[in-house]
Amino acid sequence: MEVDSLVFWGFNLHAWITIVTVLSMFTVLLFTKLRADLVFLGAIAILFVTGVLDAKEAFSGFSSPSVVVIGVLFVVVAGLTHTGVLQWIVKNLLGQPKSYCSAVARLMLPVAALSSFLSNTTVVALFVGIVKMWSKKLGISPSKLLIPLSYASGMGGVCTLIGTPPNLIISGLYTDHTGNAMNVLATTLPGLFCLFIGILSIIAFRRLLPDRKAPESDSEDTVEYTAELIVPSTHQFIAKTIGKANMFHVEGCRLLKWRHFDDAPVPINENEILMGGDHLLYAGRTKAIIELAKEHGLILGDEVVNVGYGTAISALIMLAMVVVSALGIMPLLQCAFIAAAAMLLFRCCSPHQAMKAINWDILMVFAGSVVLGLAIQKTGIAERLAFGILDVCGTNPIVVMTAICFVGTFITEFISNTAAGAMFFPIMYEAAEKLGYEPYPFLIALMISVSSSFATPIGSPTHMLVYAPGGYRFSDFMRIGLLMNIIILAANIFIVSVVYPLTPLQ
Amino acid sequence: MNVTIQEQDGNMVAILVGSLDTAAAAETEKALSPLNDVEGKNIILDCTDLTYISSAGLRIFLAILQNAQEKGGHVYIKGINDSVRAIFNITGFSHIFEFI
Repeated sequence: MEVDSLVFWGFNLHAWITIVTVLSMFTVLLFTKLRADLVFLGAIAILFVTGVLDAKEAFSGFSSPSVVVIGVLFVVVAGLTHTGVLQWIVKNLLGQPKSYCSAVARLMLPVAALSSFLSNTTVVALFVGIVKMWSKKLGISPSKLLIPLSYASGMGGVCTLIGTPPNLIISGLYTDHTGNAMNVLATTLPGLFCLFIGILSIIAFRRLLPDRKAPESDSEDTVEYTAELIVPSTHQFIAKTIGKANMFHVEGCRLLKWRHFDDAPVPINENEILMGGDHLLYAGRTKAIIELAKEHGLILGDEVVNVGYGTAISALIMLAMVVVSALGIMPLLQCAFIAAAAMLLFRCCSPHQAMKAINWDILMVFAGSVVLGLAIQKTGIAERLAFGILDVCGTNPIVVMTAICFVGTFITEFISNTAAGAMFFPIMYEAAEKLGYEPYPFLIALMISVSSSFATPIGSPTHMLVYAPGGYRFSDFMRIGLLMNIIILAANIFIVSVVYPLTPLQ
Repeated sequence: MNVTIQEQDGNMVAILVGSLDTAAAAETEKALSPLNDVEGKNIILDCTDLTYISSAGLRIFLAILQNAQEKGGHVYIKGINDSVRAIFNITGFSHIFEFI
């Protein structure tokens, strides 16, 4: 029996199998605690067994460059973490903001700025570890900051044509169609406005972000954290030995240096006595040091970053990777492989630390989401949905623009932003021409909407990068993301129609 | 740093004059060592003219106190100025010693 002959409501049998699979998968992820990677593998199995995807397509996610690059970046970030680069950035660049609002602004603005000319995935991969360390220092749950991090990179990427692949695809297709090139800063004003609205929305709806206790990752567990603990003058073990105070043999950390209030060094010996104002330098697991401070009523002083040869080398490797890929000398995937190899070669991390840093669960989910996107593309669900909505939109250009952007925002939650950009370009272009308007503003709005995937963790590789470190559940993205999708869509349509007023075709 | 030990009204009084910094600690410890043999008397550390005390100096004071307490005696600190008192406060040693 021909699959295409069975058409119901415009969708063939394969399209319906895909729709039911996706909806069932989302239901399971939202209402059960089944592992996300298992659910995605199950969905792939259904699509493969029912013939929606052939073997090559069903397993293409595991060889997808965007999936592999994330895996390799885990190793690069491990090198940066183990040599103290991330700790240095936390201490010197992010600082110690007093409130959550200023922390969000302090994080989102530089991340958006970096993402406007660098790969969003690279920026977020680098910042995940930074934000986890920073959140511990600020006493804020990482889950309150990691979604804003991922959103900032997405919104920042939109601000230039080179910031994100869909912008390049859409502008390239526009040039092919019209012979006119778009300015590299064509999306800057609308993008900045949406970013501004986005930051305000995150602050306003911060209660929708979960307050999860994120699991300590294996890689973090082995990261050497060095911090100074200060003995208060009211400490119960003043004038007693450090051994008696149970602060000498501590599980998970060790005493490195000790000095009294007058900077006189104290020998590292359990029979030495404690005085108020003593500075005790411990190295070890972050959690162990923070617990030691809490249990013994010690004041957590400055984090000490051991900047050395390794720090400089790993920072140089990272910079070289970013510059070479940003200048287009070599694709990011190749650059990331070379950078990962260099991290191992220069002993910025050990092979064991590198392997431990790779989050295989996340790679599995991401590979699954790539395959799912492929099924949605292949079965023509997105186009049918867009044309179906266009049929009921009438001839008001703003309504048509909003409708296509809305479908674009919805579809980009399931398929890659780049694929959504390529898929929706002809729909938006033709719709604008049919209505008798210059397509340029419509395409700017499209660029922003296909990068505005906030409501599911599979909407963007950057969401996948923050998913496990934030201890998030599938529904966490939906809670704030659906609202963000609507707000950014409204901001997008408003600002595009102000900056690029609709003009009839000549 | 100058140290004089004398008996006054049945107490052993050590008069400390100058700055008890790290460099002077070893010499001061030696000068105060006769206090370790004191039995049945209270010890008064007269700090009226002590201008500074380092952590090494505090350790010497603490050793004298622990020794005296083992023998059932008391150690009193007399006449410290504000800056030395501040050091005692920062280190929490103000809760360890008795002041007169």
